[in-house]
Amino acid sequence: MDTKLKKRIGKIVSWLLTFLLMLVICIPGLWVVLTGFRPNREVLAKPAIWIPEELTLNNFAQIFGFGAEQIAIPVPAYFTNSLIIALTSTAIALLVGMSGGYAFARFRFKYKDTLFLGLMLSRTVPGIALSLPVFMIWSRIGLIDTKPGLIIVYVALNVPFTIWLIDGFFRQIPKEMSEAAQVDGCTRWQAFWKIEFPLAKSGIASAGIFAFLTSWNEYALASQLTRSTDSKTLPVGLMDFTAQFTIDWAGMSAMAVIIIIPALILTFIVQKHLISGLTFGGVKG
Amino acid sequence: MAEIKLENVVKNYGKLEVVHGINLDIAHNEFVVLVGPSGCGKSTTLRMIAGLEEITDGEISIGPQVVNELPPRKRNISMVFQNYALYPHMSVRENLGFGLKIAKQSDAMVEERVGEAAEILGLQELLDRTPAELSGGQRQRVAMGRAIVRHPEAFLFDEPLSNLDAKLRVQMRTEIKKLHQKVKTTVVYVTHDQVEAMTLADRIVVMKDGWIEQVGTPMEVFNHPVNTFVASFIGSPPMNLIPATVEGAEIVFADTTRLPVPARLESHISDGQKVILGLRPDDLTPEGHGIIESGQKASMQLTVDLAELLGTETILYTQINGQEVLGKMFDPREVEPGESMSFNISLDKVHLFDAETQKSVRLG
Amino acid sequence: MSRINKSIPFWRREQFTPFLLLMPAILILLLVVLLPLLFSLYTSFTGYRLIRPDSLYNWVGFRNYERIFTNANFWYAFGRTVLFLTIALNLEFLFGLGIALLINKITWGQRTLRTIMMFPMMFSPILVGYQFKFIFNDNIGILNNALQALGLSDGAIPWLVDKQLAMFSIIFAEVWMSTSIFAILLLAGLFAMPRDPLEAAKVDGCNPWQVFRHITLPFLMPFAFIAMTIRSLDVARAYDIVDVMTGGGPAGRTELLWTLIARVGYDNSRMGQANAMAYVSILLSIAFTYYFFRKLIAARRYMGGAD
Ligand SMILES: Nc1ncnc2c1ncn2[C@@H]1O[C@H](COP(=O)(O)OP(=O)(O)O)[C@@H](O)[C@H]1O
Ligand SMILES: [Mg+2]
Repeated sequence: MDTKLKKRIGKIVSWLLTFLLMLVICIPGLWVVLTGFRPNREVLAKPAIWIPEELTLNNFAQIFGFGAEQIAIPVPAYFTNSLIIALTSTAIALLVGMSGGYAFARFRFKYKDTLFLGLMLSRTVPGIALSLPVFMIWSRIGLIDTKPGLIIVYVALNVPFTIWLIDGFFRQIPKEMSEAAQVDGCTRWQAFWKIEFPLAKSGIASAGIFAFLTSWNEYALASQLTRSTDSKTLPVGLMDFTAQFTIDWAGMSAMAVIIIIPALILTFIVQKHLISGLTFGGVKG
Repeated sequence: MAEIKLENVVKNYGKLEVVHGINLDIAHNEFVVLVGPSGCGKSTTLRMIAGLEEITDGEISIGPQVVNELPPRKRNISMVFQNYALYPHMSVRENLGFGLKIAKQSDAMVEERVGEAAEILGLQELLDRTPAELSGGQRQRVAMGRAIVRHPEAFLFDEPLSNLDAKLRVQMRTEIKKLHQKVKTTVVYVTHDQVEAMTLADRIVVMKDGWIEQVGTPMEVFNHPVNTFVASFIGSPPMNLIPATVEGAEIVFADTTRLPVPARLESHISDGQKVILGLRPDDLTPEGHGIIESGQKASMQLTVDLAELLGTETILYTQINGQEVLGKMFDPREVEPGESMSFNISLDKVHLFDAETQKSVRLG
Repeated sequence: MSRINKSIPFWRREQFTPFLLLMPAILILLLVVLLPLLFSLYTSFTGYRLIRPDSLYNWVGFRNYERIFTNANFWYAFGRTVLFLTIALNLEFLFGLGIALLINKITWGQRTLRTIMMFPMMFSPILVGYQFKFIFNDNIGILNNALQALGLSDGAIPWLVDKQLAMFSIIFAEVWMSTSIFAILLLAGLFAMPRDPLEAAKVDGCNPWQVFRHITLPFLMPFAFIAMTIRSLDVARAYDIVDVMTGGGPAGRTELLWTLIARVGYDNSRMGQANAMAYVSILLSIAFTYYFFRKLIAARRYMGGAD
């Protein structure tokens, strides 16, 4: 009886803790999302209005330029820039990462460990520290405030981690698969595309999503390497709001929602593969 | 439909040489088994034949063609891997037909060949399953099916049975033998299991540390091992090897037990030579419990330390010269540990190796 | 040595293939990371200021380094950064472990919980910063509003303006964002944990705490090190959070190395000096990563991983 009671109490406590945890994780994001749908008047009200009296799409209409009042921040352009830059850099990083990850997973070669460590260390350079020389060089060769300028940087940013993940996924596929295919008449290239790639596909997709999110979310470099609507991305655009005299909390929240949505959807898609990729690459690596 | 020829084939991994210039001629339709302890370079040799490893030096040819620089797909061989390497994202049917599809054969042709292979191996019921839905033995069969659909010049097997349990292994061994009789092709088969080698091979290649120790039919390798390594590797339980010295017409052990020199070996040894006497357990039998009762014999009174009953025969553990020596008792009766028995040694079957070179004295 | 090596062109040779495959990765990293870093190393020995381009050739030797090493503000920022990282990483590990153990116990809705837990990891740091700037706002923030509504405080608590509270708020945001990576990997570790040693330990008479301390925890450590390594790759993302939330204020009390670099380099346009600081921050990051990477490799070996 006593142990039964103890167990029940333990269960209730762990449920309570979990509930609390979920609150801490979810409430900040939900609150921002909610604010995105409220008029500024209500957001700023004192005393606070807890239960929204009015929900509106006005904030979104405004930042996309459909609203009654024009706001000074060209969100549609930022959105397009973000999308183009993130997608292109992800695609390139995936190709480069697949090639490199395959090399690490399938070959033994000299300086392998050193090279791997070197790649990883290149990723540790803080964005802001890297931005200084890149800023100086990019302004000399005319890459400042261009999409390609940012794309190249993001590819470099994503390649090491993409290699880490993809290496892990290829390693899960026995080498003999590709060898059997080669004996069966494939070139190494065919063996890769017909056998190894399909087997690693979902893993590579998650590596891609991870790279996309890194580019989509990046701020430190973008804030220095972009200037205008030609290349400014959403995170940099978000900071435009704070430069104004009064912060437009509702508008900013609406913009935040736009940045969050891809993250939420993509996280949901990758979560399973991401975990296995990270652990596999790390533990069995 | 091809012979395979290896000439002075060398393999280096970086600075480490793992195969040291081996020579081997495999005849058309021959079943050759490479056998040796793990790490001796069997797989490496097979993979060089397949084209999966570069050849550091030497020459390999399949049929009339030197294949050194040909990629695997151009060698017209097929291979069965230890862990089967079935393509998990394809059905059995697709696995079987993959090679033909790659070679751009017509659908009708693929269909026909897959059907043929499925029939030979009894896979008809399984064609639409995926590898994950198959048992170990079935996967093994699919792997073999994948090898035969392409009608290759040669089959290469790398320890294909070592992932199966003992019973299935024996069953599949017979199937492989039958398969070879049905689909006449050259086969190179790698295993570390000497029983597999003995039962399957037309010719056995015994390897050790990257060298070929002996090539011969199972009978030759069993009856005339060229050195102590082959002698102890082939045969189960392994041959007893006892150090001794030749004194005149006798072989004398350190404990002064003596045996007459077998007549057929007299001319190969010299007085005072240090030798190793090789004696298979089958040739050390208690009086009245041997297989061959004729021929030149010697007898010895030995104490049995332990008897291991196997049913049709019993393995007897005894000692010669303070060293554990195994004998066999055919048509066995109960034996008490500690019992002293009179043993016959078939001198006709005794092997003598030079103690220094470890080589059979018959080789000079 | 043999005829094969002569007849196959070198780029088709087996030992060359991996380098060929790695070439794009190496090239792009050389171009975008290594080359700029060499350039910035050079710059850190000049008196380069953005507004005077010819100052790029003004060699000043170690003066930038002397200047930053004798500058109290730099050392404060440095110390604050190390402290910030130590506190944040330890909290993330502890919370992550707690969450992993908690979720491991719960069977119903586990997958959903796991997915929700991953969301913060995918948030843009700039968003996390904004989110907490909004929540911690002294006037309209939900936190102060809630505290006042519940009667726990009567005045507006200046979360982002008070010296100590601002640092706390920033660490809170950072931990909120990054705990999940620990939780997720430690949870994966718990899932991968073999049952036998646990049961053996129980049979041997260990109490739950001893089982955890001597069996579970050592098994989880490699997973913790993976998380640490991954985390140390992007610790500098905290720059984004700080930039949004406080911009290094109030009065430089939340100034980290990274915000200081941005201020000196871009706002004061002293590129030479900023690059000198940047080098310190790079070495700091590399030291963190290298340390955890070595631990990871050691732990991996201990677990019997491949080469
Ligand atoms: N890729 C490799 N790199 C370095 N050494 C290897 C490699 N593959 C095999 N070896 C070494 O070559 C030797 C022969 O290996 P292998 O042919 O696989 O032996 P086995 O006879 O067991 O099949 C072993 O000592 C092994 O360690
Ligand atoms: Mg082998």
